[in-house]
Amino acid sequence: MFDRDTDGVRIELRALTKHYPGQPAPAVDNITMDIPAGELVVFVGPSGCGKTTTMKMINRLVEPTSGEIRIGGKDVLSLDPDELRRHIGYAIQQVGLFPHLTVAQNIGLVPKLLGWPQAKIDARVEELLALVSLEPSTFRGRYPRQLSGGQQQRVGVARALAADPPVMLMDEPFGATDPITREHLQNEFVRLQKQLRKTIIFVTHDFEEAIKLGDRIAVLREGSHIAQYDTPAAILSDPADDYVAGFIGQDATLKRLALVRVSDVPIADPLPDAALPQVTGDASLREALDVMLAHGSDRCGTPSGVLTYAALCAAVGSRPEKEVSEGVMSGGEVR
Amino acid sequence: MTAETLATGRVRAPGRLPFGPRHLIVPVAVGAVLLALYAWVGTLELDSIEQRSLNSTVILAKTVEHLQMTVAATALVVVIAIPLGVLASRSRNRFVAPVILTAGNLGQAVPCIGLLVLCTFLMGVGFQTALVGLVAYAVLPVLRNTMVGVQQVDPALIEAARGMGMTRGQVLRRVELKLAVPAILAGLRTALVLTVGVATLGAFVAAGGYGELIINGLKLNRMPVTIVGGVLTASIAFLIDWLGGLAEDLLKPRGI
Repeated sequence: MFDRDTDGVRIELRALTKHYPGQPAPAVDNITMDIPAGELVVFVGPSGCGKTTTMKMINRLVEPTSGEIRIGGKDVLSLDPDELRRHIGYAIQQVGLFPHLTVAQNIGLVPKLLGWPQAKIDARVEELLALVSLEPSTFRGRYPRQLSGGQQQRVGVARALAADPPVMLMDEPFGATDPITREHLQNEFVRLQKQLRKTIIFVTHDFEEAIKLGDRIAVLREGSHIAQYDTPAAILSDPADDYVAGFIGQDATLKRLALVRVSDVPIADPLPDAALPQVTGDASLREALDVMLAHGSDRCGTPSGVLTYAALCAAVGSRPEKEVSEGVMSGGEVR
Repeated sequence: MTAETLATGRVRAPGRLPFGPRHLIVPVAVGAVLLALYAWVGTLELDSIEQRSLNSTVILAKTVEHLQMTVAATALVVVIAIPLGVLASRSRNRFVAPVILTAGNLGQAVPCIGLLVLCTFLMGVGFQTALVGLVAYAVLPVLRNTMVGVQQVDPALIEAARGMGMTRGQVLRRVELKLAVPAILAGLRTALVLTVGVATLGAFVAAGGYGELIINGLKLNRMPVTIVGGVLTASIAFLIDWLGGLAEDLLKPRGI
């Protein structure tokens, strides 16, 4: 298969189409895209736009009507579907942990299907539980109903990673958790992906989540047509059309600020000023702006100097002196 | 992990049977009834006809016959009804499912005694004829419970299983049937109890069992014989139901 090395591999979709019999329009209409190796690409779009169908064609839970899929250069449609799926990690919103199997058995399922020796499976389970921050000795023998929602999602991610697949498909894997747990899981997932560099296709309808996790975002519309496929920063600063702009919402600039860390911005005054409200170097510019607003100040202190409001404006490519003209305002909203 | 409170689902500890005093109620009660029956018969002066039925040799023989019928019929029901139930639960068989279910319903709706008479014309009297009637009667609960048990498995689990690379057969064996075990066992328990009762009709086709005591008692107007047959049948039914309950607790997969 394509996973001789476990780092991510490239995925290519070519003119991929799914037309369900008896339906007037195809669910997925002729999508062509490249997903670079080791990147996390988020498919984002409204319900029913075909993003999940597109994803499920990659592991052939949905058979394409026409088109081509290549993973690491291999033609997926020529492989045995069951064998193929054992080499692609898969995590879904409902998690789908088997209630009659322990956490260890759930995680070890794919390795077992692949015929790994039991000792190797046990070691792998141990390693993965630690990776998703669940104490192995505590959680190994538990049954899924003895876990909280967030813990179940962690086990779900660990299970998808079990056979160390180069490619992972994730369908809103953090969707069914409360906002606090979700944010926690997202942060850990970002850390995990930095370490693992898998090629991941991540489906969500939550644009915030897409910005937070994605190396690239594919904004999809009806029929899985690509409205825009670019990095989060590029989509936020230059949405391709009104549809994409609508998806971003009214606070695109704030969202862009959230993508930049304080330590990445050139500092106006290199001398730290302890009298100013302080932010850490790891904080985002959005958090820095929040601190400025809260203290009624146009600057705040960072570990390496002073961050000014002008520097924030420069980071998103605007100038603070510039008056926003009436024409631009109404022109922007009428459309 | 501050936001994640620990869920405390109750799952049986491995290797420990949930066996408590409440599990002893049924066998103790049945034992008491049987003792009372024995004592009561002991106070009667039995005539020669009654003596021919109410002795340990005959009662033991009838017990063995009755249990043989019950066990053989239930075994056949398992072999027939579980595969049919699985077949009927598959979505691609949705046109076959009503046919299978109707056949099962028919087996239970048709009076068993009538079916036995019809079978006698075809196969003569004896053990096999009785089995046909019993199996037809007891297929439905197992069939229906297997079907429902497999269908009620969360579709998300099946999607996860398929997405992980399990074949259809592996999904059926390792996920669907495992999770349907409680429902199937409940159906089997119902079938067993039904069979114990209906097996008394086996006497009409010369298959023996407690039915013989009941019918002989009625025909010869010997009430004690009929009562012994009836009470023994009911006792066995209670005991089998009790065993079924234990088996359900024991065989249910842990974690569900």
